[in-house]
Amino acid sequence: MSNAVVEKIIKEIEAHVPSVESEHVGRVTSVGDGVVAIDGLSKAVMSEIILFEEGKGKPLAKSMEAQGELYGVILNLEEDGVRAAILGDTARVEEGMTVKSTGRILSVPSGEELLGRVVNALGEPIDGKGPFKKTTFMPVERQASGVMDRKSVSVPVQTGIKAIDAMIPIGRGQRELIIGDRGTGKTTIAVDTIISQRNEPQSSRPICIYVAIGQKESKTARIVEQLRKENAIEYTIVVDAPASAPAALQYLAPFSGAAIGEYFMDRGKDVVIIYDDLSKQAVAYRQLSLLLRRPPGREAYPGDIFYLHSRLLERACRLNEEKGGGSITALPIIETQEGDVSGYIPTNVISITDGQMFLVTDLFNKGIRPAIDVGISVSRVGSAAQTKAMKAVAGGIKLELAQFRELEAFMQFASDLDKATADRIESGRRMVEVLKQKNGAPIPMELQVAILYAASAKFFADVPVAKVTAVEAHLAEFLDGQYAKTLAAIKKTAVLSDELKKELTKALEEFRLAHPELFASK
Amino acid sequence: MEHSYAQALWQMVEKGMKPKEVVAKIREVLEKRGRLSILPKVGRAFARIAAREGARRAVVLSVAREKDAAGAKREMKDIFREMGIEAGDVEVRLDETLIGGWRLEGRERLHDASYKKYLLSVYNRATT
Repeated sequence: MSNAVVEKIIKEIEAHVPSVESEHVGRVTSVGDGVVAIDGLSKAVMSEIILFEEGKGKPLAKSMEAQGELYGVILNLEEDGVRAAILGDTARVEEGMTVKSTGRILSVPSGEELLGRVVNALGEPIDGKGPFKKTTFMPVERQASGVMDRKSVSVPVQTGIKAIDAMIPIGRGQRELIIGDRGTGKTTIAVDTIISQRNEPQSSRPICIYVAIGQKESKTARIVEQLRKENAIEYTIVVDAPASAPAALQYLAPFSGAAIGEYFMDRGKDVVIIYDDLSKQAVAYRQLSLLLRRPPGREAYPGDIFYLHSRLLERACRLNEEKGGGSITALPIIETQEGDVSGYIPTNVISITDGQMFLVTDLFNKGIRPAIDVGISVSRVGSAAQTKAMKAVAGGIKLELAQFRELEAFMQFASDLDKATADRIESGRRMVEVLKQKNGAPIPMELQVAILYAASAKFFADVPVAKVTAVEAHLAEFLDGQYAKTLAAIKKTAVLSDELKKELTKALEEFRLAHPELFASK
Repeated sequence: MEHSYAQALWQMVEKGMKPKEVVAKIREVLEKRGRLSILPKVGRAFARIAAREGARRAVVLSVAREKDAAGAKREMKDIFREMGIEAGDVEVRLDETLIGGWRLEGRERLHDASYKKYLLSVYNRATT
């Protein structure tokens, strides 16, 4: 022990004023699988935090060695006691242990200090950068904002992904589900959305919260590293409840993320929160509910599994000016099995959210990434938030792609097709190529508009399909270098005026003349 | 099922019925319902309830040294009054790990005036 600590201890002892406070306690009667049955605590309330008294009967030195205090959260109030989930290592709880009521409802720290940090489901830092100094505690469970406090979605969240921003636009305050089988790029879309926010002006840049639920630690570490490399970590908070964490923490993590986000929303800021993923949270909640002996329902999920997700996602909203005008945009992720979107949890979350983007394994394996099936993906409120410039160029894309998918089956009979059908197929193939995008490379809105303008003006019609992506990259580079002012004007006005259209047409012509080799042969 | 019968048994005793009468009644009911075979199980469930209730009602005073008990009891007169118990109702236990002071636990309340608790809180404040 250092001299400074010894001196502090001596000072504390000298200033000691003896007082005996009465505490409300119970006793652990059984413990197992992260859940404890407690006798007593008859005045406890739901979601109250309880403290396990580990030091009882142990010498002072041993008590001092304990790794922090061990808490639990009350989840069942029963006739002859309560049941609670342990928010930590179950092995530390023993039968007969005294449990103290704290009178506090579960809450997590939030504040500017959390930006750039990785915290656990209880809001405690786990990135080794030391404790937080000044934070505000936010309740983990909070009633969602009421109708009168809300405002319609009208400001876009730029994901930086052409296929999404053009066809499935997301607005600030919206809830857009990302759904698909494992390995189809769900997390990639979420992370790219976070990275894309660096293109936003700092004053209106959303705070991003990435909640990892039941994920591998290695995956979360990789994401944090990627965010750090892309300078996106400075406006991001990562809430981590890994697969190795107790079920209670995996169940709580999304609510903690929402609570942290509400701190910023209440202060008029925009927040984008990603729940990766809610299927794992549902599984954790099922485990907890079964251990709490709540009656199982369909697929053994408890009866309130719908309410679990609806109350969480309802907290995403856009507040009106009187309430500060902040917003929380939720991007929940659901993992399907074998593309089955009619499962219990997927259908629940689909019905709660304002739209969904389906990611399909077949498209992913064909190299179409992001592997979004635009036919069944939808954004119910996002179009109200789409910029006029984007609307102007994206209008026909969805229809064109849908027609292409219909005709795709006839591609093998290419020689027997009439010209109109063949042209439509060729155009569709190029549009698919244009919408392809590498992961970790979000594109700013103005550049997306320019590229999609080019695509809709049949600029790529003479480019061999295999070369479309490369030509597009060249074009983006050319526009960035030679037509930066035009792009800046699109960004500033968010409108594609006739004048800007003329400039873009001129730019495309210039590019064509400068690079005739790219358009040489089909 | 036996737990419900045991619970009923316990409540009847609580209300002041004589144990002999209560057992006879339960026996009669079980016999009528053709469930007399579970009577031993009811007995065991009753014993568990009694043990649990006993533990709930017990008030334990822990002191580091035996000689501290009398002084501690004097200090806790108000607490006893509040809890509706007499000093004689308290079970005294020795717990050397308390170092000094006392700790009273029972009926869902805990009053901890031990040196150990105090020293721990000082240590935690100084090190965090």
